[in-house]
Amino acid sequence: MNSHSSIRMFLTHLFLIVFTILTLYPVMLVVRKSLSPGDNFSRSLNPVPKELTLKHYKDVIGSRDSTGRSLFGRQFLNSLVVSLITTIMGLFLASTAAYSFSRFRFAGREIGLTMFLVVQMFPATLIMIPLYVILDRLGLLNSMTGLVLVYSTTAIPFCVWMLKGYFDTIPKELEEAAWIDGATRFSMFWRVVLPLSRPALAVTALFSFMTAWNEYILAETFLNEETAYTLPVMLQHYVGSHSTSWGKFAAGSVIVSVPIMVLFYVLQKHLVGGLTAGGVKG
Amino acid sequence: MRFTCPIPTPKRITMAFTLGLSALLLAGGLFIVMRVQNKTLENTAIQDGNRLLYQAYSGKSPQSLDLAGFFILNTIPGSNSKLFNFNMISGWDHAKPAEKLSGKLNTLSETSKDKRFQALLRKAHDAGAETLSTGRYYARFESRPGKPPVLIFSIRTSPNQVSVVFMPLKKRAPSAPWLMLFISLLATIAVVFFVSNRYAPIYGVLTFACLAGLTISAYRMNPSGPFYSFLTEGFRGFGKGYFVAGWLGLSAITFALAITWFTGHASRFFRALREFRLAYTYIFPAMIGMMVLVLIPFAAGLALGFFNHCRGEFQFVGFSNFIDILSGGGSSLTNPLNFWFTLGVTILWTSVNVFLHVSIGLGIALILKDPLLKMKGIYRVLLIIPWAMPNYITALMWKGMFQQQYGAINILLDNIGIGSISWFSSFWPAFMANVITNTWLGFPFMMVVSLGALQSIPTSLYEAAEVDGASKWQQFKTITLPLLRPALFPAIVLGSIWTFNMFNVIYLVSGGEPGGATDILITEAYQWAFKRGERYGLAAAYATLIFVILYLYTKATNKITRAAEDM
Repeated sequence: MNSHSSIRMFLTHLFLIVFTILTLYPVMLVVRKSLSPGDNFSRSLNPVPKELTLKHYKDVIGSRDSTGRSLFGRQFLNSLVVSLITTIMGLFLASTAAYSFSRFRFAGREIGLTMFLVVQMFPATLIMIPLYVILDRLGLLNSMTGLVLVYSTTAIPFCVWMLKGYFDTIPKELEEAAWIDGATRFSMFWRVVLPLSRPALAVTALFSFMTAWNEYILAETFLNEETAYTLPVMLQHYVGSHSTSWGKFAAGSVIVSVPIMVLFYVLQKHLVGGLTAGGVKG
Repeated sequence: MRFTCPIPTPKRITMAFTLGLSALLLAGGLFIVMRVQNKTLENTAIQDGNRLLYQAYSGKSPQSLDLAGFFILNTIPGSNSKLFNFNMISGWDHAKPAEKLSGKLNTLSETSKDKRFQALLRKAHDAGAETLSTGRYYARFESRPGKPPVLIFSIRTSPNQVSVVFMPLKKRAPSAPWLMLFISLLATIAVVFFVSNRYAPIYGVLTFACLAGLTISAYRMNPSGPFYSFLTEGFRGFGKGYFVAGWLGLSAITFALAITWFTGHASRFFRALREFRLAYTYIFPAMIGMMVLVLIPFAAGLALGFFNHCRGEFQFVGFSNFIDILSGGGSSLTNPLNFWFTLGVTILWTSVNVFLHVSIGLGIALILKDPLLKMKGIYRVLLIIPWAMPNYITALMWKGMFQQQYGAINILLDNIGIGSISWFSSFWPAFMANVITNTWLGFPFMMVVSLGALQSIPTSLYEAAEVDGASKWQQFKTITLPLLRPALFPAIVLGSIWTFNMFNVIYLVSGGEPGGATDILITEAYQWAFKRGERYGLAAAYATLIFVILYLYTKATNKITRAAEDM
């Protein structure tokens, strides 16, 4: 390696390091805030906290409602249960529908596929008001059931397209072989196609989970009791118009983001392929 | 082998579906005609009532309106009784309304021997009493079999006085059946879309003719004529008049056609159904969920755009929401509440963001691609963090960064000597704050996409170019960009749709400040629905427009992709 290219390497690294630090700086500030005392940001730009305290974490986790029950536990459970059920429902509904779209040619297939694609473009606000009315009529406002229903159905179109794209790549010959061996249609689906599409299923699951875990505006609109809140709504309320508890917000953000970021890292490689392939191609 | 060759969709099945659909459409169209007619009549009646009341109070004589009665309800001071005395005007004098307002006191039984009319009067009285006790305005449409419906309308005019009007409806048909024609048109499009074979135009024309014919005949009817009770009473008046006969005839023809087909080709149909049964079974659960929670709300949302919402009551207003929005609602082009202003901001917002996402993402990807570079993985992992974070947290975090007093950005600017900026009190800084936030959270996606696409470009191409003496820039222009396009283009389309609808960033960072100027269409719609007096109708119209814009956009991009693939 000659000196010219090593200087270039050095400059590239320098640039990348500066860029990365710049990018991560806001995150570092949040982490610092979550570990240092006081409700507001301090006027220092140093991302390393001067005094360490876990007070904010304790405050967030130990938050209680007026009757003394743990609020955070409740809200965490809300988020977790809603996200998990959404994932399971979304996977089940989407995989069967995607299989049908991928393997059968039936009347209404084209229109169904187009519909699933178009539905993805709906702004949530377009269906929010009618949804509000429907959930109200069904008595499902402020309930997890309502949220699960809404989340899983809004996640389905994407999941269907994604899984359909993947199912299309699985050779039909495998199923034919199974068919010759006497497998039923269902066991072809269950024992041939599904095991082969584990990566796609994982991504779809992650996507459903993330949609539900990170959704803010529908939850904010449909829920108005503290005990029914999901974590995003709770976090927003820490720094909403009436309060500015940035410390609690920071601690809460760390708690909420870390699990989802870990999940994201595990599966992000597949997510990109799915998003660009399944999400757009008509 | 049976399942490797998918069974072609028999034309006949499509035809059957179309026939069934037509029948459904006919029934549905008829039903809607009736409902809309009712609703329109009611709305005109309420408007008439308002005008009447105003005229009575301003001393002008109410012209051209037939009154069934007009009275004023007075409380007896100090009495808790809910039974009120009221002045009953018998024989309304059009010429001198004021005189008659202080007319003779009558009891209910004296007014009329007609029991129905008495019941009506009692209802009016109760409405007045309720209005007085709750302070609410009351307007109601009472239909009477065989007679013109009556409007009961009461309003509290002073602390212990209520004015009540009840009057028969003016016999007036709605001005134009354009809404129904519009629905017919939509139905026609749906039919054509569904059939999608060479018979489509015929079916389209048939559907449109049927629906439009029905509509026009419904609207041309005189509400006081023989069909009137049918329209106001729903199916209670069923069996009367040409309208019903005509409708039955049309349905009969439709069904006859369907039955003819069934008897001729039933076996084929059922065989195909058996074949498809599995497909439909697999798709059924997802379909149900989508129907109930996406399509029905979507349809309801579209319909809502034609209504006006006021304190829990929806009033049909036709296209006026859309006209209101598209004409800018009477505000100038520079007013943030103007649709075109918001649209401009949205387009600017989307294009600036997508440009920044792509250029930063692609730039970093090109740097990271260098095969000699070490620790690529670490940079990549670290730079994806913004994408992995939930975006509402990102938005709130940046809102903290832009805070005037303690925000990191202002402190930095202070330290450099520029001085702190009040980010959210004028348009450009607020817009920039939003853009910075969104760029931060958006570029990693483009970076990852570009990285993936770059890796799939064979290095031999570059080696060959190197041999031919091409410069780095030439290589980029002739090899990298063209080969990136198939991967990058869908990502850009997707990214622009995401950005176009990026509710969380706008809503949580600037919140539309200052004065709604930085709102994009989607947050503007939300503001109308939930922050500016529950104008659900207007918000729904906004949402519909957003949908139309995005739909056209994807259509256009699809065309472009296809054209590019053909080249």
